[in-house]
Amino acid sequence: MHPGRQLAVLGAIFVVLYLLVFFTGGASGSFTDRLHPKLGLDLVGGTQATYIASVQGGQVPSKESMEQAREIIDQRVNALGVSEAEVVIQGDRNIVVSLAGKADDQLKDLSQAAQMRFRLLIGTTGDVSSVALNPPSAQPSAAPTGSGAPSAPASAPASGVPAATNGPSSGGQGGGEVVKAPAPTPTPTPTPSASAAPVSAEEQAKLDDVKEKVGAAAWAAAEKLTAPVDLSSDPNAGKPFASFAKLNGTEVAALPAKMQFNVPTISCKQLDDRPNGAIDDVKTEAAVCYQSAKVLLDKAEVVGDDISKASPQIEQQSGQWVVSLDFKSEGSAKWAALTRKAFEATSSDPCFVAAQALYGQVDHCAVAVVLDKTVVSAPQIQGVLSGTSQITGQFNSASAKQLADQLNFGALPVTFTSGPAQTVSATLGIQQLQAGLLAAGIGMALVAIYSFFYYRLLGTVIILSLILSGLLTFGALVFLGRSMGFTLTLAGIAGFIVSLGVAADSFVIYFERLKDEIHDGRSPRSAVPRAWARARRTIISANAITILAAVVLYVVSVGAVQGFAFALGLATVLDLLVVFLFRHPIMTMFARTKAFLSPRVSGLGRVLRSTSTDAKEA
Amino acid sequence: MARDGFATRLYTGEANINIIGRRKLWFSIAAVLVLLSIGSFAINRFHLGIEFAGGTSFSIPAETGDRTLTQAEASEAVERAIKAVDPAAEIGAAQQVGLTGGDQRFTVRASALTAQQAEQAKAALVEDLGVPASEISDDQVSAAWGGQVTRQAMLGLVIFLVLVMVYLVVRFEWRMAVAAVSSLVLDLILTAGIYSFVGFEVTPSTVIGFLTILGYSLYDVVVVFDKVQENTRGITAGSTRTYTEATNLAVNQTLMRSINTSLVALLPVGGLLFIGAGLLGAGTLKDLGLVLFVGMGLGVICSILFAAPVLTVLKEREPRIKAHTARVLARRAAVRSGDVAPRPERTGRNANATDSDEEAPALASSAPRPGSRPTGKRNTNRGGRPGGAGPRPSGGNKRR
Repeated sequence: MHPGRQLAVLGAIFVVLYLLVFFTGGASGSFTDRLHPKLGLDLVGGTQATYIASVQGGQVPSKESMEQAREIIDQRVNALGVSEAEVVIQGDRNIVVSLAGKADDQLKDLSQAAQMRFRLLIGTTGDVSSVALNPPSAQPSAAPTGSGAPSAPASAPASGVPAATNGPSSGGQGGGEVVKAPAPTPTPTPTPSASAAPVSAEEQAKLDDVKEKVGAAAWAAAEKLTAPVDLSSDPNAGKPFASFAKLNGTEVAALPAKMQFNVPTISCKQLDDRPNGAIDDVKTEAAVCYQSAKVLLDKAEVVGDDISKASPQIEQQSGQWVVSLDFKSEGSAKWAALTRKAFEATSSDPCFVAAQALYGQVDHCAVAVVLDKTVVSAPQIQGVLSGTSQITGQFNSASAKQLADQLNFGALPVTFTSGPAQTVSATLGIQQLQAGLLAAGIGMALVAIYSFFYYRLLGTVIILSLILSGLLTFGALVFLGRSMGFTLTLAGIAGFIVSLGVAADSFVIYFERLKDEIHDGRSPRSAVPRAWARARRTIISANAITILAAVVLYVVSVGAVQGFAFALGLATVLDLLVVFLFRHPIMTMFARTKAFLSPRVSGLGRVLRSTSTDAKEA
Repeated sequence: MARDGFATRLYTGEANINIIGRRKLWFSIAAVLVLLSIGSFAINRFHLGIEFAGGTSFSIPAETGDRTLTQAEASEAVERAIKAVDPAAEIGAAQQVGLTGGDQRFTVRASALTAQQAEQAKAALVEDLGVPASEISDDQVSAAWGGQVTRQAMLGLVIFLVLVMVYLVVRFEWRMAVAAVSSLVLDLILTAGIYSFVGFEVTPSTVIGFLTILGYSLYDVVVVFDKVQENTRGITAGSTRTYTEATNLAVNQTLMRSINTSLVALLPVGGLLFIGAGLLGAGTLKDLGLVLFVGMGLGVICSILFAAPVLTVLKEREPRIKAHTARVLARRAAVRSGDVAPRPERTGRNANATDSDEEAPALASSAPRPGSRPTGKRNTNRGGRPGGAGPRPSGGNKRR
């Protein structure tokens, strides 16, 4: 490639990066404000929150469960981005989390209970909003069977490892385009006693408030419902319940699950707005949204605590990502009972009808995996499962890991109440940052002196490219800090200082090569491309190893090590960029000048003078 | 003049230091150091920082009756109180909790104290700061760096070693992969050994610096092996040089490069260490600077004195190379006894020595010999000759 063109590419990268820095990712404030990288907890302080463990009966949670909870919270914090948070156990029952910068919102989510429940899916009906969007004329029962329903049941595994096939991929509320609002199913109410759980005085008071809000007539009509109202056949059927649409999340949560499900005017949005823990009670049924449809779930037969371990795996036969579940001994028995119920259900069972409405063609019932108030997935059960089970589906490595993490989070034995978030000052402070930058300056100056001393004018090329990669690194830091929460700690700064030294290394390799070539009798002009071709090989090999180290550590590790790996990889990639797009073209252009031939200028003088007839190596 | 001459030869890659020939010495030194390190792991263990071992956290109010404490004062007060109880304790930095509003407190973390020690320290603080005991709290805090972080980092290390092994096998060959990885492992063990032996504190920064060494140490080895590969390509076709000699030449030729790369990389690290340890006393910068300085320094030494010699040991076992070495030695012996006319050396490196008015006297003074190569070779051969000289087949004759 023409040297000018390479420089142009580099220039373009540079411009794009700094446009990103100044104009994207929530950039705001003056131009100097937009140039601040996101600094870490140790340098600028941050936000700290305390979570207090509460165990039933008021006893002190065990050390192990606290450590387990600490690690889980640590993982959750790290899932927020490549920031280096600090999570410690304080005393017997407190977990203190510190995050860089203003992070009150993020800290709020960490205290979520993450209760995992396994519930049989026993009813399905359309969401009110989707009915409104899709006029009744649309054939509602045309649930696609192809992509929507799980394709070939993945229950093939030999050696009796059963699989629970997952429904359409990602789960949550995003799958609306696959399964459209299914036809309401005439769900016969199962055991009426289920909803007759004892109600405390407080809950009764809340319920009375709601009753008053919706009006006696609507309430009475709602109480009479035994099945969801089919709006598609009679658009006016929803009228008596219009007042239910005005309830907020908390008020909806106070209603019995059956009513939340049956009343057609309660929308998915209202269900989603319910407070955390609204459907945690294992003894009652639950109404929840799944793939833009309202579903009714049976009592929770198996809970997250019954899982001993969940892990993302690649299934050997299909090569697809699955989530493997291991249950504890008593959990295993409960899981077997639940899956037997789902597997042996006949076509008249409510759960069968519900699964059919959701997925189209089905053979067995589905069990919903519910995390807090979200259905993570609702796989059809393909066998009576005990012991290790797999959830299959259209996972990729990230989503499989996410689900496994969530399942593991669900196994958390301690629930926490969160204290107020407080700001904390930096542990190290700005003078350490200044010291770090001073160290960087000294290091750079030393490298500069050395390279000028050793390579004379070629030292200029080294210094220029170091400055260039410094600028690129800085831009990347600012941009990544905003867009993916990459936090720069003092250790990170030190890492970048070191990487500048390593970047200078690749120059040494190149120039020494150049020296060799000239020594072997080549003219500087022909030596440059030759030396480049050879040095390139070495530089790529060496940098490939560093990138390998960075990628492996980033994928495998957690916490501070992950942040470090990210920085290492970033620095190396930028180094390669500068080597290819700046140093090489500059040297090519330089080699065409007369000055390059002058020993005094290029620092290749001694070699040049001592070069003679030459002999090439065989 | 001699010094100058050596520098020049080093510069042009003709230092001719017999590194490979002394490999038994290097291996012995390495073995002794590894044993010492492992012994130190067992006896001294590691001196773990608060982030790993957990500790005691003191929380004191910022308002102490009549005055408001600064961050530094809080830190000093806690330090005085704790040092009085346990002089060996480490004190972390003070942190102000609640920057706005009236309820500001300072928390200071220190290494783990027993309940009794914590009680004493608290009493000392009460007296020192004049605040009621109920205002000061002390808590045991767990490690911020959980076991899981270490486990995952170690897992990452193992996966990396396996992958890099595969990469090097593809890029070079398995013998070079083994040599490179063993040199890396040696580097890591010795660095950890120094930490354990001297008793430097191990902090998260140390671990991160330790992992940085991974890439860097191999970087150096790759540079050396790249040259070795180049020098020994098609070596069995000729009979002037054994594999071992060619490797030694490669190491010499890359010596300046190795010294340069390590100097250039160590300069910023030196800056870190100087600032971190010299001006700030302790902390992240010192921890990182120290582990990198030790690890990178050892990495360079390992790649020159250990990786290349290991490679030659492995290579000499390869039948093809073994036969070739025997042939070269036999031929050389034949040349000496006059059976075959000596061929001129074609190394391309030493023929020019006399052409330089600057270098000639230098070379002459340090090594009075016609060309620098033969002497070096003879030294190198000493170890391998008995095996090669025995059969004395006229392999060399056959070829010419």
